[in-house]
Amino acid sequence: MPSAPSSITRRRFLKTSAAALALPQFIPAGILAAGRNPGAHGRLILGLIGMGGMGLAHLRAMLERAGQGQVGVAAVCDVDEKRLQAAAQAAGPRTLVFRDYRYVLQRKDVDAVILAAPDHWHGVQFVHAAECGKHIYCEKPACSTIEEGKAMIAAAEKNKTVAQIGSQGRSQPEAYLMHRFLANGGIGKIKRVDCWHYPSPVDDQPVPNGDPPPELDWDLWLGPLRWRPYNPRYLHGTFRWVMDCGGGQICDRGAHLFSCVLGFLDADGAGPVTVEATGTLPTKGLWDTAVTMNVTYTFKNPDWVLTWNQPGKPVPPEERPADAPKIEQPRFGAVYQGDKGTVTQWGGDGGLWVDDKVRNWQPPPDAVEVPKSPGHYEDWFSAVKTGGKTIMNVAAGVGVANLCNLGNLAFLLGRTLRWDQAKQEIIADDEARRLMSRPQRFPYHL
Amino acid sequence: MPNAPLTLDELIARIKDKDDTVRAAACLRAGEVGAAAVKPLAAVLTAGDVDLEVARSAKRALWRIVRYVGRSDGQKQRGAVLSELLALLKDVWPDALRREVLWMLSEIGDETCVATITSLLVNAELQEDARCALQRIPGPAALNALKEALGRVSDDFRPAVAQALRARGTDAGPKKYPVRKLIPARQTAVLPGGKMKEKR
Repeated sequence: MPSAPSSITRRRFLKTSAAALALPQFIPAGILAAGRNPGAHGRLILGLIGMGGMGLAHLRAMLERAGQGQVGVAAVCDVDEKRLQAAAQAAGPRTLVFRDYRYVLQRKDVDAVILAAPDHWHGVQFVHAAECGKHIYCEKPACSTIEEGKAMIAAAEKNKTVAQIGSQGRSQPEAYLMHRFLANGGIGKIKRVDCWHYPSPVDDQPVPNGDPPPELDWDLWLGPLRWRPYNPRYLHGTFRWVMDCGGGQICDRGAHLFSCVLGFLDADGAGPVTVEATGTLPTKGLWDTAVTMNVTYTFKNPDWVLTWNQPGKPVPPEERPADAPKIEQPRFGAVYQGDKGTVTQWGGDGGLWVDDKVRNWQPPPDAVEVPKSPGHYEDWFSAVKTGGKTIMNVAAGVGVANLCNLGNLAFLLGRTLRWDQAKQEIIADDEARRLMSRPQRFPYHL
Repeated sequence: MPNAPLTLDELIARIKDKDDTVRAAACLRAGEVGAAAVKPLAAVLTAGDVDLEVARSAKRALWRIVRYVGRSDGQKQRGAVLSELLALLKDVWPDALRREVLWMLSEIGDETCVATITSLLVNAELQEDARCALQRIPGPAALNALKEALGRVSDDFRPAVAQALRARGTDAGPKKYPVRKLIPARQTAVLPGGKMKEKR
């Protein structure tokens, strides 16, 4: 059976990994020590978990802010020693270094964590961090299952955790303009929002399973996922195209676009009543997320429809005046249709651009005002200090992730799902209901 | 006009085809072939000389059958598929296939599957996947099997069974089986600043 581990069994693998237990953990002295209240020392002391593409971007951003006295970077963590080494070099000799994120959570001097491990870790690490009293910035999508989302919200509430989910589109300057425009009836009552995005890639270099490279703790990379043999096509970055650990474009950029849509429509807390999906699967390779995909979410009271179209019908970027920011990511976006017109958004993650008519709209004196983020990190820092609510709080993030995950479930099962938003559960489909959760490998569980 | 259902022979031939588009199209139609295809697909998947991509197609076709009979009106076909899947848990089949089957049963299995799955809780290679399957299968049979297993499985596996019970809302005894999820275990050889520890 070629997909079986060729030379290593699960038991032997775990025994090999456990050999690392014998080594002592090196913890240098002199790291800032304080309680959870960041006001006590005037700056937020951070631990960063997951040092891949987004993790390193967060590290660079935090080191810059550390230089300005805003934060301190106490620890970095990754299950890949090469990545960890690069992060440790960037962070400098006063930053602690860990392979196991639970060491970071144990540190009393760490006020908050930035979670940027692959998606299948988000729910578990979020809950653990909240239970250890940390504030949390968590990459999107917030969670991989409905059950994880519920646990995250409950853990954050119980532990008074201030969380920001990394759908940073809401914090972009033109996001504020779009939200304000729509909130003031710029196109009337919204009837429909159609998202478009280019297709997922196909694994065109399939390789057999094998032994993990020595620098990688494969068991810890898998974490809550069911055990499986290592295959280099899982990582790094390519985890995104595997259903169990990434979920495809809809869980990646979908988590950005849906965040914008729900935010701009003041629809956090709303959920669909039905979810339908069609699409195509890869014909070969390890990756198993949809290559093309169309998902329709029907909302009631108010009645509107949200669609995810991969690839859909891209809207060409409009010509902009020289003084306006150039549209750099025209390959995905969303069209908002109201009973009085249509507007378009391009991008939706770290870059977001809107129609000229939205940018040029002048609000009347009695216009409805909407939240204006000072920046996604700054919004989080501010909420940590004040105990306030972030622009992409955990409940909002889970609501968005639920859309992504329900879309994938409808596609996977090939049937329409009915959803009860109040109860946060799928209706009248036993198999789909079981897939609202996924048993997690011991001891990496909620 | 909809295509006529594939025959078993047609399905297997197409799953073995060299053209990945033929295989992928066959996968999509595996559900309607149903229980009769389970064992033949498993045989394709585990054949010693099978092409990597053919094996992947066979596995995906099996999953397609599971999702097809998992629908609410698929109950009639589900029983036969469950019987075929349970037969694949016998130790004549490779562990990698049995592991996959346990996860299939976690999605559509019922009380008729519990005894066979429970028997694997003492199999060192498969016990964790069997535990997860029992955690997910609803109803008292799976719950009772987990409770009963707590006193029977190896010492090092008991905390995992206790966790499955907790996940199902049953307290296995927090003092006897404390939650271990926050206990760190894995050490790095990387030092602050990025140097590596010297090997002893």
